[in-house]
Amino acid sequence: MIGIRIALAGNPNVGKTTLFNALTGSRQHVGNWPGVTVEKKTGRINRNGHTIEVIDLPGTYSLTAYSADEVVARDYILEEKPDVVVQVVDATHLERNLYLTTQITELEVPVVIALNMVDEAEATGCTIDRERLSSLLEIPVVRTVGTRGEGLDDLLDAAVREAKTSPHHEHIVGYGNEIEAMIASLVGVLAADKDLGDRYPLRWLAARLLEGDENALAKVKESPVSSRVQDILSGTDLDEYEAAMADRRYDVIAAVLPQVRTAGARSMNVSEMIDRVVTDRYLGIPIFLALMWGAFELTFVVAAPFVALIEAGLAWLSAAVAGWLGPAWLASLVGDGIIGGVGSVLVFVPNIFILFLFLSFLEDTGYLARAAFIMDRLMYAIGLPGKAFIPMLIGFGCNVPGIMAARTIEGEKDRLITILVNPFISCSARLPVYILFAGAFFGAAAGAVVFFLYVLGISTAIGSAKLFRHTILPGESSPFIMEMPPYRLPTVGTSLLHTWSRGAMYVRKAGTIILAGALVVWCLASFPFGVEYGSSESLAGSLGRLLEPLVAPLGFDWKIAVALLFGLVAKEVVVGSLGVLYGTGEEGDALSTALLADPGLSAATALALMVFVLLYAPCLATIATIRKEAGSWRWAGFSVAYGLVLAWTLSLIVGRIAPFFLGGA
Amino acid sequence: MTGAVCPLALLSAGTEATVADVRADRGMRLRLAGMGLCPEVWVRVQCADWGSLIVSVGDARYALSRGIAMKVLVREAA
Ligand SMILES: Nc1nc2c(ncn2[C@@H]2O[C@H](COP(=O)(O)OP(=O)(O)OP(=O)(O)O)[C@@H](O)[C@H]2O)c(=O)[nH]1
Ligand SMILES: [Mg+2]
Repeated sequence: MIGIRIALAGNPNVGKTTLFNALTGSRQHVGNWPGVTVEKKTGRINRNGHTIEVIDLPGTYSLTAYSADEVVARDYILEEKPDVVVQVVDATHLERNLYLTTQITELEVPVVIALNMVDEAEATGCTIDRERLSSLLEIPVVRTVGTRGEGLDDLLDAAVREAKTSPHHEHIVGYGNEIEAMIASLVGVLAADKDLGDRYPLRWLAARLLEGDENALAKVKESPVSSRVQDILSGTDLDEYEAAMADRRYDVIAAVLPQVRTAGARSMNVSEMIDRVVTDRYLGIPIFLALMWGAFELTFVVAAPFVALIEAGLAWLSAAVAGWLGPAWLASLVGDGIIGGVGSVLVFVPNIFILFLFLSFLEDTGYLARAAFIMDRLMYAIGLPGKAFIPMLIGFGCNVPGIMAARTIEGEKDRLITILVNPFISCSARLPVYILFAGAFFGAAAGAVVFFLYVLGISTAIGSAKLFRHTILPGESSPFIMEMPPYRLPTVGTSLLHTWSRGAMYVRKAGTIILAGALVVWCLASFPFGVEYGSSESLAGSLGRLLEPLVAPLGFDWKIAVALLFGLVAKEVVVGSLGVLYGTGEEGDALSTALLADPGLSAATALALMVFVLLYAPCLATIATIRKEAGSWRWAGFSVAYGLVLAWTLSLIVGRIAPFFLGGA
Repeated sequence: MTGAVCPLALLSAGTEATVADVRADRGMRLRLAGMGLCPEVWVRVQCADWGSLIVSVGDARYALSRGIAMKVLVREAA
């Protein structure tokens, strides 16, 4: 019953999470771009009565972590000491992947190599002699194809065997006489500090010190041997060692590779050809915009018949419920509260699914990384690295992973700005609000209105980034480098799976948090006893009228005030609350009809409301994520306050200007 | 192999070169080494977009902002 901990480490985008999912049956996020996984994830397997814990780590190019996600990976291996590290290696990028191997083995942990993506390597005619590689490196090498679940058993066998073998195989790069002498004298000094020796392999630490690794320097700073270490280091040119050591590692790899790999005929690379078009300096941005526009059209057009179907079903249901359920209050609870609240959110499931399908297509093909490159120039102008565009695109799905994705951004201020502007990127939860109001008040122009809102969101994010850069977080954008993965054709199966796992979250949210919100609003709308349901005499009415003065200048009445208040929990609740407050009516009218019939609502007010919902305070989950990622409540509070002020101002302006364009509505 | 040394950022699409020196701060240099971008490595510029580049390094391809591309000094292949 001994538990074994296996850590999956490796370069970014080599298929660690794909293997993790295949091994543990989880559904962690996979995508064809570097930096998908930004925190460690744990899963368990039961194997022959043993519990095996598998940990999926963010990808890293070297153990000298440079960005926040790389720190997570390095610290896990170094501090938590897994029983065995499975390094997932991309068979098509052996050279660079083995560089990391040379660093991991220095940590003196048992290592097993999962030679992944063998299918892609073989497709180019390249063959790799796995056994020879294994014997040259003295590390077990297992062939895997993560996407097809091949080699999992062998991998686990090898990992368990390696974890239990001691002493395990160990392959360490020799750095040549001069450097080895330095390492030896450093190890001699470091050994005097017993504590340090218990925690870190000293040879590794010495090598890191010679490379001038700041993290390693910090580790010895507190140690009593610190001054003697400094004496040794001060007389040397660290830059030279650093370059020489990298050289030696690549030399060792260069000596191994020709013995194990026979390169195939290098055909014209398809990815390069596609890139020639999509990253073209003139075509790049138009292609990107066309893709986005197409996505919105698709979201509307394809979803429309399904939406109509669900609407009809719900109308039938609420009419039927009104007949079946005896007591009036119960009929109201089910009809107004549950069907009105949750139903009005569920109606938009088809739109949400299509949006997610599009986003997963962007991610799985590899286009996402290109978008970052295309946007680099624009981002540079606002003082952020092009990479910062990726969290924005992820934010279209949901701001929480969008903000997490900022971890891959190297500069701390750049990361903070990227986090703070992400809430303005319109997430999928806001889409129902737009579809509802744009559909009701703008008819055929609804698609254009929604596109306008998304563009307004991006513009606000970009404008705010520029503002923050010039005021509270001044500085230069940090230079960036990002790997362009090869284009991969996602299978229908994986696309649907990715869409489903995110879409299911929306449905689950409807059944939990939105249901709860709807019930609270229903209670407020029904009590105290005897008042007319949803009238301004109800508790909801009193609450709404309390808030009304705040939003009256924007043209919003008390019902909207209540919906906006509860919408702070999650933005879909705005729609849910309105569904409850307006009731579905005896005829089971759609909410849009009820809204249209409200004399207090005009097209201009609807537009102002959509702008307000787009920009006002982030939802609770996002606030919590900002707090966690930015490291203090101050930033979370700032984000809420800034959003509220901006939303209020902009929707006031929009509400005033819009009538001129809409023909004095 | 004694061509003139210039920043990677100044190369145009289609040019091949070898890296002569990386003049970034140490953290960035160590990261770049992990990505295979270190002295003596052969690179090919695939796409040059007003400063930002896409470069092949070995089997991998990277997008670099102008900021980094200015710090990587290369020697153009004859
Ligand atoms: N052809 C092929 N593709 C694979 C294989 N394993 C993974 N992939 C694809 O490679 C891409 C990256 O997979 P991930 O599992 O997200 O990679 P990761 O190492 O977790 O990436 P990061 O979290 O960004 O470090 C996805 O598009 C996968 O579908 C494989 O064995 N063969
Ligand atoms: Mg991953």
